[in-house]
Amino acid sequence: MARLTIEDLKKIKEENLAEFNSPELKHLLICGGTGCHATGSIAVKDALVQELKDRGLDDKMKVVETGCNGFCAMGPILVVHPDGTFYQKLTTEAVKKVVEEDLIGGKTVEKFLYKDPSTKKKIAHQDDIPFFSYQMPRTLRNKGLIDPESIDDYIARDGYQGAYKALIQMTPEQIIQEMKASGMRGRGGAGFPTGLKWDFASKSPGSVKYVLCNADEGDPGAFMDRSILEADPHAVLEGMIIAAKAINANQGYIYARTEYPLAIKRLEIAIQKAKERGLLGENIFDSGMNFEIDIYQGAGAFVCGEETALMRSIEGKRGMPRPRPPFPAHAGLWEKPTILNNVETLANVPQIMVNGGAWYASVGTESSKGTKVFAISGDVNNIGLVEVPMGTPLRDLIFATGGGIPGKKKFKAVQLGGPSGGCVPEEHLDTLVDYEEIAKVGAIMGSGGVIVMDESTCMVDMARFFMDFIQEESCGKCTPCREGTKRLLETLEKICDGHGEPRDLEILEELSATIKEASLCGLGQTAPNPVLSTLRYFKDEYIAHIYDKECPAKTCAALLRFEVDMDKCTGCGACFRACPADAVIWKKKEKAVIDKEKCVQCLTCFEKCKFDALL
Amino acid sequence: MPRLIIDNQKIEVPEGTKVIDAAEQLGIMIPRFCYHSALGAVGACRLCAVKFLEGPVQGIEMSCMTDARDDMVVSTDDPEARAFRRFIIECLMMNHPHDCPVCDEGGHCLLQDETVSGGHDIRRYKGKKRTFRDQYIGPFVQHEMNRCIHCYLCVRFYQEFTGYRDLAAYQIGYRVYYGRFEPGQLESPFSGNLIDICPTGVFTDKPARYRGRRWNMERSPSVCIHCSLGCNTVANARYREMLRQEARLSESVNGHFICDRGRFGFGYANLPDRPRRAEIGKNEASWTEAVRALANRLTISDGASEMKKTAVLGSARSSLETQAALAILAGSAGWPMPAYFADPHQSSVCRTVVRRLDEGLAVSMKEIERADWILAVGADPINEAPMLALAMRQAVRNGGKAGVIDPRPVFLPFDFTHLPIPREQMEFCLNHLIHSGIARQEADDAGEAVAGFYAQLPEEAEFEEAVREGISTLAEGLKQSEHPVLICGTDIVPLSTPDLAADHAHLLNRIKNTCGLFYILPGADAFGAAMLEASAESAFEDLLKAIEDGEITALMVVENDLIGAYPNRKRLETALDRLELLIVLDYLSTPTVDRADFFLPTTTVFETGSCFINQEGRLQYAEQVHAVGAPIRQLRGRSHPPREHRDEVPGGDPRPAWRAVADLVRALDLDEIRLYTSGPESWLTGSKGPFRFFQEKIYPPREGRILPAESEVAPFKSSIKKEAKKPEAGTLDILFVDRTFGAEALSALSEPIRRAEPAAAAFIHPKDASELGLSDGDSAILRFEEGDLEIPVALNNDMARGLLVIPRKPDLEWQTAGARFPRIARNRIAGVRKETE
Repeated sequence: MARLTIEDLKKIKEENLAEFNSPELKHLLICGGTGCHATGSIAVKDALVQELKDRGLDDKMKVVETGCNGFCAMGPILVVHPDGTFYQKLTTEAVKKVVEEDLIGGKTVEKFLYKDPSTKKKIAHQDDIPFFSYQMPRTLRNKGLIDPESIDDYIARDGYQGAYKALIQMTPEQIIQEMKASGMRGRGGAGFPTGLKWDFASKSPGSVKYVLCNADEGDPGAFMDRSILEADPHAVLEGMIIAAKAINANQGYIYARTEYPLAIKRLEIAIQKAKERGLLGENIFDSGMNFEIDIYQGAGAFVCGEETALMRSIEGKRGMPRPRPPFPAHAGLWEKPTILNNVETLANVPQIMVNGGAWYASVGTESSKGTKVFAISGDVNNIGLVEVPMGTPLRDLIFATGGGIPGKKKFKAVQLGGPSGGCVPEEHLDTLVDYEEIAKVGAIMGSGGVIVMDESTCMVDMARFFMDFIQEESCGKCTPCREGTKRLLETLEKICDGHGEPRDLEILEELSATIKEASLCGLGQTAPNPVLSTLRYFKDEYIAHIYDKECPAKTCAALLRFEVDMDKCTGCGACFRACPADAVIWKKKEKAVIDKEKCVQCLTCFEKCKFDALL
Repeated sequence: MPRLIIDNQKIEVPEGTKVIDAAEQLGIMIPRFCYHSALGAVGACRLCAVKFLEGPVQGIEMSCMTDARDDMVVSTDDPEARAFRRFIIECLMMNHPHDCPVCDEGGHCLLQDETVSGGHDIRRYKGKKRTFRDQYIGPFVQHEMNRCIHCYLCVRFYQEFTGYRDLAAYQIGYRVYYGRFEPGQLESPFSGNLIDICPTGVFTDKPARYRGRRWNMERSPSVCIHCSLGCNTVANARYREMLRQEARLSESVNGHFICDRGRFGFGYANLPDRPRRAEIGKNEASWTEAVRALANRLTISDGASEMKKTAVLGSARSSLETQAALAILAGSAGWPMPAYFADPHQSSVCRTVVRRLDEGLAVSMKEIERADWILAVGADPINEAPMLALAMRQAVRNGGKAGVIDPRPVFLPFDFTHLPIPREQMEFCLNHLIHSGIARQEADDAGEAVAGFYAQLPEEAEFEEAVREGISTLAEGLKQSEHPVLICGTDIVPLSTPDLAADHAHLLNRIKNTCGLFYILPGADAFGAAMLEASAESAFEDLLKAIEDGEITALMVVENDLIGAYPNRKRLETALDRLELLIVLDYLSTPTVDRADFFLPTTTVFETGSCFINQEGRLQYAEQVHAVGAPIRQLRGRSHPPREHRDEVPGGDPRPAWRAVADLVRALDLDEIRLYTSGPESWLTGSKGPFRFFQEKIYPPREGRILPAESEVAPFKSSIKKEAKKPEAGTLDILFVDRTFGAEALSALSEPIRRAEPAAAAFIHPKDASELGLSDGDSAILRFEEGDLEIPVALNNDMARGLLVIPRKPDLEWQTAGARFPRIARNRIAGVRKETE
């Protein structure tokens, strides 16, 4: 296909938008993110296509498989455009009903609408659902609206306008100036100003430079980058093209983890289509600039998200970090000047070019501008991907957008920044989403993983979980991280197993401080954070484990008695019905008793009991 | 030049020096595990933490990662830094098995030292220790992973420095495992360095396992004699038995490392069948009796004036002292001057080398590491001089380009261009390549002599496509090059090649202002041998002729296995049969020794201090390591201390070969009393000695190059052929070659080397093999006139056509071929199919 010009871009946009907004043609937007694929959205989509065909409606309605809609817990999801109706948890059987009653009958199908957990009311329109209404989609502006495998869809949403502007109308200095003006800070977690990073690389001498995209998202509970790549891959490519112009690079690599097959597939398609249209390759937009992008698949090591380890990995070496300086902007991939930006950062770049840095900086706080994407999970009603402006209080993020805590349980803490981050307790929930503010309370902004924990979470166990992850993922290069994290884990395991001694608290503190100071890379330097922040806010739980041999959250099996509190038991039988080992002895209207011989200590009864009657 | 203060001492160091090295210059050894000056810094172990009190860096930092800068004030023993290092040691010791009593590293273990000096004594960690499964990694190195402290030095050395990939770090986190993918012999011929480089006992010396602590050893600086490079070693002996060899740092020769042939090749010195008693006929005799009887046999009449005319053959493996003593003996006895090379080819090429090499051209291996373009002609470094391959690798790692013109299948552990040219076309290829890499204008600007030489070089050449591409790649590299080096082998090259290589080195030297010339020679002291032969114009061929003609009836062979080394077995046997008297001096049991009428046992390099001149003309001295005598383990009953008390050391008869010569001089009453009245300083040095360079009367001599500033031979006299010599159709060339393991005479006798050596096989190009109806693994029977030679064939694409490459293994009777470079008609090769099940 021919090389695209700006006129072509405009024409494609007009045609595509005309079709999208045409009253004659309804667009049925089925979420095709990994989460919805897992819940069966492909079968739903196939059923829908078949149903429309059977009824002869396929010329009036177009089924579009979009990228991740964001509301992952509700999948499979269907949004009817232009009506805006949001259907959730669809099944192949439900499709018939939706087609019949809504698409033909014009009446929404109550059963598959969203039900607000607090008001218990059904909400038909996507925009009215609090999960969506509190958001400010900028990075995610195309999610759920376009077919990520269609370059025309992307172009229709102003795609490649930013690249055109940058390549044709702007100098590298102007691009960097605009990035600096936007106040954009690296969304991978460290929050280094993007414009400054580009500036260093651009001034670094050398004719060969590289633009890298870090799509090695590894934090447990984080899926921002995956969703962006699945929903809007061209935005990332366009961001890289602009970055390449800014530093004068001709080659880019996207380092994506193999565990993201869908994201990689969509990226491959996007790269292929961009090449066909001359948006990648030689002489892009006749600007004289050449730029290629290749995907490099990582084998899943967490540490390869660290920039120097990532570069070693692309070089085909063992993914191990090296000390900085020299910084990658001076000596990165193959010792050439390199910039490495996170997926989310790059996805924002095209709009900054189109709308200007000032526009981007118009929201946010003094030091943190723009919006931030979070992946909310854990003990929260609205699990999914959200984008809120910087400066949003954490409380709003969890209780408004996130919909609060399920059941009648109380909020306990929220883990920000994954295993490198820390937990924020109730008393600091009014902290704003801001790099510095979050750091003040002992957590980090991180890449955007938000794990909400209710009162049934044991914080010692939580620290143990993250330490288990970290010590598994330590690359093993430097001594403190390799040996120290293992030691931290063993100490936490000991406490959870009821063998904690008073001196263990000192060991945890001393070891954490030394690992932080002595480790080579960010992984080791932040590894003790979950321990330090739980020690800071929940030391009483450690003390309860060590001195009283009790787990207040009733999570650590070794510290539980597996008995029934006869005063609290109402004889409801929930534990009896739930027990997988037939270890609960119960008759109607009688109190339950646990047969310890049979009990496998799976804690299912603890979860089911609504009366806190298990000890 | 940054100036800084470390522990209250001022120091100024060159830009880019790390603080850890700056401290070392002050004599302050900052603890370290992962830092190695040959491998650089990676900041992994975190042990070298020091406190930066003032200046551009503040607080605790790794001294290996921090460049020394102005105004730095560094404290290595600040309490905070000490506490930091103590923490690191504690971490490392948590999983260490504390098996020091049974660990061979104990006594020279860096982990032991750092643990004790770091102040870690009380074990606070009560948990379980991590364990691993060990692997069999070959006959040289013992693997014991539980002791590992994960400094990564082994893998960095093995992969980055030597370029082999079969030892790697597997897994991540605290389970990191250094080993092979599956058990098996390590592929790198430099694997023994893992023993030196490992800071604890993960890799220990397998042959020396459980044989002694470092403090039990008699240790002396020594020089490796298993090739001509003369790598520096530390030899370790205990109870009169050589047990270990370690690498010794030599800035200009081998750097920090040595090859496995050098490290494990010393076994010949300990062999139970090593001859330790003098023999008259086949009867044992005391040293004094034997010398006296020998003197009598050599004297025709009772008067000492008339003596049996005796030919003397020294050797390239003997010390300079012995070589010189032989020359003095022959001179004073009126015999023909000694020859030192049994092989006429070696004799001829080595003489050329010593005539051509001078200070203007010679380069050390260190200088090769800094070269940006290296061309080797007729050289197979990994097999002929393994450490040279490592030096070349460092040059390539630094961005240099390398090429090899050689018909053999040459393997090197780095990217290089191999031009598999037939032997007789190598010179043509070299001439053409140099012509392609130098512009006519450059040659014209360099003066008449250069221009004249350049003008003779062939501009056109007909080679196959791949070779042409290789030539143009190398020529392109030469154009860019500022520090080129030419390496010239001597084992398989035509006789004129060393001269030609020197001329090309001169050409490049005049044009680029610098060009190194590096020869590979056959033997640790081939240089000294060649100098003596060159100055006396003696050659074994002449001596042999005289024996055949009956002019000479006695032959004295010193530390040379003539029968193994002479390429024509039949001719030699006939000549030896004509002799009245064969006198052999050696420390090995060889076929030549078996034939001797008189035998005197000599000492090894470990039992006598001795000088050697390596192939770049560098004189080095190997100190005596242990006293002469049979290893205590080999005494009957293996009892120690001995139950029988005698006044001599069992097996203590061997003497240095030069001492035997001196004793003979005395017994013959010759006019060279200096040989037996004082030590080598009196007759090796001074203007009357055979070596001009021994001007100062210092013994052991000062080490260094002994080359003339400028060679007496005028350059550019080589005759240049305009066209390549066409290979003869219907025949195959046969090359008898050296191998890393198993072909060099001394190391081939060493037990671990024998285990490591691959089975003998002849390399052949697949096309030649298919024409002969041979498949990989089949045996070829070569029907020479004097007998058959049977050897399995190994097919190899990366070699010249029309060629068979056969390792010169001692147990392979290659001398049956009757010539050094035989040719064999294709119809005289028969195949025997490999047995398949």
